[in-house]
Amino acid sequence: MMAMVLTPLGFALVCLALPSGWWRKALLIVGCAVHAVAVASSWPHPPAPWAGMAIDPLGHLFLTLISGLFLATSVFFAGYHSQKLISQRVFMACMLALESALTVVCLSGNLGLLWVAIEASSLAAAPLVYFRLTPKALEATWKYLLVNSVGIALALLGIFCVAIAAMGTGRPASLNIADLAAAGPMLDPRWLRAGFLLSLVGFGTKMGLAPLHGWKPDVYGESPPPTAALMAGGLTLEGFIGLLRMHQICSAAGLASFCGGWMIAFGLLSVAVAGVFIWSSVDFRRLLAFTSVEHVGLLTLGVGLGSVGAYAGMLHAMHNTLNKAALFFVAGFLWRTQRTDRMGAIRGVIHRHPWAGVLLLGGMAATLGLPPFGMFYSEMAMVFAAAGSGRYAIAGVLVAALAMVFIGVLTAVWPMAVGTPRETEIEPVAERWHWRRLAMLAPAAAALALGAGLGIHQPVAVTRALNEAAMSLNPPTMAVASAGGTR
Amino acid sequence: MIARVLHILLDLALIVALPPMLIAVIWKVKAWFGGRDGPGWMQPYRDLRKLWNKSAVYSRTTTWVFRAGPVVNLAALGTAALLVPISGTAAVAGFPGDLIVVAYLLALGKMATVLAALDTGSSFEGMGAAREITFGAMAEPTLFVALAALAIATGQLRLGAMLGPVLAAAWPGMMPASLLIAAALFIVMLTECSRIPVDDPTTHLELTMVHEVMVLDHGGPELAMATFAAALKLLLLGSILLHVAMPLAPWPMKVVALPLLAAVVGVVESTMARLRLYRVPLLLGSALVLAGLAALLVTMGGKA
Amino acid sequence: MDLQTAIDGALVMVLLLDLGLLTLGRLATAIKALALQCLVLAPLPLAAEAMHGSVGGHGWLILGATIGLKVFLIPWVLLRAIRTGEIHREIEPLVGFTASLAIGAGLLAVAFAVGGGMRAPGLSISPLLAPAGLGTVAIGLLIMISRVKAITQVVGYLVVENGVYIFGLLLVGRMPALVEMGILLDLFVAVFIMAIVVHHIRRTFDHIDTHLLGGNGEASS
Repeated sequence: MMAMVLTPLGFALVCLALPSGWWRKALLIVGCAVHAVAVASSWPHPPAPWAGMAIDPLGHLFLTLISGLFLATSVFFAGYHSQKLISQRVFMACMLALESALTVVCLSGNLGLLWVAIEASSLAAAPLVYFRLTPKALEATWKYLLVNSVGIALALLGIFCVAIAAMGTGRPASLNIADLAAAGPMLDPRWLRAGFLLSLVGFGTKMGLAPLHGWKPDVYGESPPPTAALMAGGLTLEGFIGLLRMHQICSAAGLASFCGGWMIAFGLLSVAVAGVFIWSSVDFRRLLAFTSVEHVGLLTLGVGLGSVGAYAGMLHAMHNTLNKAALFFVAGFLWRTQRTDRMGAIRGVIHRHPWAGVLLLGGMAATLGLPPFGMFYSEMAMVFAAAGSGRYAIAGVLVAALAMVFIGVLTAVWPMAVGTPRETEIEPVAERWHWRRLAMLAPAAAALALGAGLGIHQPVAVTRALNEAAMSLNPPTMAVASAGGTR
Repeated sequence: MIARVLHILLDLALIVALPPMLIAVIWKVKAWFGGRDGPGWMQPYRDLRKLWNKSAVYSRTTTWVFRAGPVVNLAALGTAALLVPISGTAAVAGFPGDLIVVAYLLALGKMATVLAALDTGSSFEGMGAAREITFGAMAEPTLFVALAALAIATGQLRLGAMLGPVLAAAWPGMMPASLLIAAALFIVMLTECSRIPVDDPTTHLELTMVHEVMVLDHGGPELAMATFAAALKLLLLGSILLHVAMPLAPWPMKVVALPLLAAVVGVVESTMARLRLYRVPLLLGSALVLAGLAALLVTMGGKA
Repeated sequence: MDLQTAIDGALVMVLLLDLGLLTLGRLATAIKALALQCLVLAPLPLAAEAMHGSVGGHGWLILGATIGLKVFLIPWVLLRAIRTGEIHREIEPLVGFTASLAIGAGLLAVAFAVGGGMRAPGLSISPLLAPAGLGTVAIGLLIMISRVKAITQVVGYLVVENGVYIFGLLLVGRMPALVEMGILLDLFVAVFIMAIVVHHIRRTFDHIDTHLLGGNGEASS
């Protein structure tokens, strides 16, 4: 347990201390690999609780996703970074510190500790955004810092409200999640409702739910692709886990329908907003930011729909991390080769760089929810969950919004991959280009392959893990989420 | 009964005799800050006597309004002074709801002064009148809200009763609110009496006058009345302020504190500069917010 | 004056400082007003503990840490950012000082209306806590939204944090010391990083007017 939390931090300090050289990048990869190994070994042998942190199904699932994401990103970063723009060691140190903070977030059993770790991760991510030292990057960093800090402050207010709700009971009140969930029906519902709404707004800002998504296009567009991949895959999960902890407590108190209603509303709004704004996107990474808004909306919507939807949400979370990583890695590769982000200027990638083109198309298919990628199943499951419980309006709006996103992304990305390439392409002249290209594209390929593989055949272990995470969200009312139409 | 009659006589004596003394105190304090001796203690009285014995010159553009202005002002303020407890815990006269009458009498006096200023037909006085009305428009709601807060806290509608023993009993319980009311009333007093930081009573520069410019064209007895009325306003509002700020003190202390309050005004005048004209609404708005907050606290205090 | 009145008085002072921050034009004065607000708030948990029982040792430790960080260190960081940047006055904000004061007063009234109805179960040290907390958060958000200079936005953020802190006083004695220290540390690091970013902004743009940043990007959402 300690190893998982502290090793990234230790590697971060070493990175800060060492002078530059290729072996510093290797150190980054090694650090992430050690963390991944520790997480992988915790599945068969769960470690004991320590300092308020404990392994629970939800946190364990997310931690695994995050660990894999960081490992892939570290490999990508080795290939991506060439010149020494911002201090490379600051970047690597902050990345590793971010990994530590995210570990604490996933494993924390105490709401206060959760909050402290989320704030720490926001602060660790800020230098990662300000990588290119341009004025627009600076603006994006400032916007990110302020909006995130305020959102997290509101989430703290929500946490306090929930703790106040527990004060009326006879037991000694605490911020411990297990205690609060156990107190359940004795919690004051008014304070719980206020607390949940505040946390929804606060953690929703962190995740990028609409209408709190305004910072996402700027920040994802201006920060370097490794950062964007980490944020889209990792920080959204951290906001999501904060929200889910609140949902756990409120469900235990019987407010599941109240929470679910609000989550459905925010989720639908996010998907709809994404559908509208994708049409007007000009930059590739801003387009990806809006798809991130859409997927975060789907996550929230899934959990809001109830137990079947919760399983779909977990499945969606897993595939979202894989897809976003792959897409942002491809975006990074395109930035390196094309020197531009505007989709109008990029054409015919598949002719010049076949692998990148294939991965671009694959990533597009994955994020649109085409089979055999896993998102197909999760999105279908959500539609079925909505329709199956009689909420046809929700299902209808969902399908319409997804269709808009489909058309928007397809029409934007297809010409990028398959088209006549422009003549004005800059041939990158950098040392060890072949290795770097491999390092940039291999993680993307691995992520997509994993997504497709899991879509075709999902091992029982994975299903069980997803199931346990979903079940921990709701009290055992409807034990669905196995076979049937919810693959 | 005898005590009541003595208090009434004392109040009347104070109303007649004390205001010029307050002005003298302010002058002395300002002079002391300037390292001078300043005018004598009796100087305001001598000035009033001199002005009273002079004759006045009236411009041909003025009408009876010009001559009535200072008279109405003094009469209104004198009547208001009868309703405010100065020494002791009851005013000379009182009835439920007289706090509104006091506020309106102050406004009546201001209106008379402004009309007299406008009657001269000079743009100079008009400018001063416009500024005076603007500041008054923001100071009067503050006064009303502060008095309303006191009324809610004590449950009394008669100024004498409101500022008397009931307030003394309720005062410790409404602690933060009472200080807020006192602060708001202090700012209102500075505004109504045309003191720094709202207006400079010693300036004669065109750009900076507010109150002075309105009485610029008066002479002789009318000027004496205007000057005395301004000092009487200081006594009036100062008494209300002292009763709010220290309700638990015995009555001689409240009388003695009046010159001390004048000294505080003198200190404020000597240490601060006049605010720029467009910042004055901010000051008055702050006073209104202070009074409003006090009213909120007092209302909540009843429910808590 | 008993403890209850002192606590009430402190909360009223905090609200007055909130409204004052809305009207202050000079940046250094605003930072000092913020430091004063933190100073007034710092002894409140100790007072709450004293009201409900005995005062533990770690209460004094947290008091010391709070005062050290929020009253001295953070304002020092911000003042240094101003001094090196040579920016001293806030320009007329989007809403205007007097209008901000009026809106702030309105927000306070709403906070009193909403917060007065929120009764915390169990003992709470003052009926003013929930309204003061909500009001401070609202005014902090107003400062952040309507101000132009980046440093004032950081001040607004700290006011929001103060408001959340007041709200947390309703939980008196229930928060473990680790969490409190963690929150304090986070706050300090956040302000530190913000100050660094402000420094970069000034170096890049020669001013810290945030509404002039990034005027040449395409329309984002």
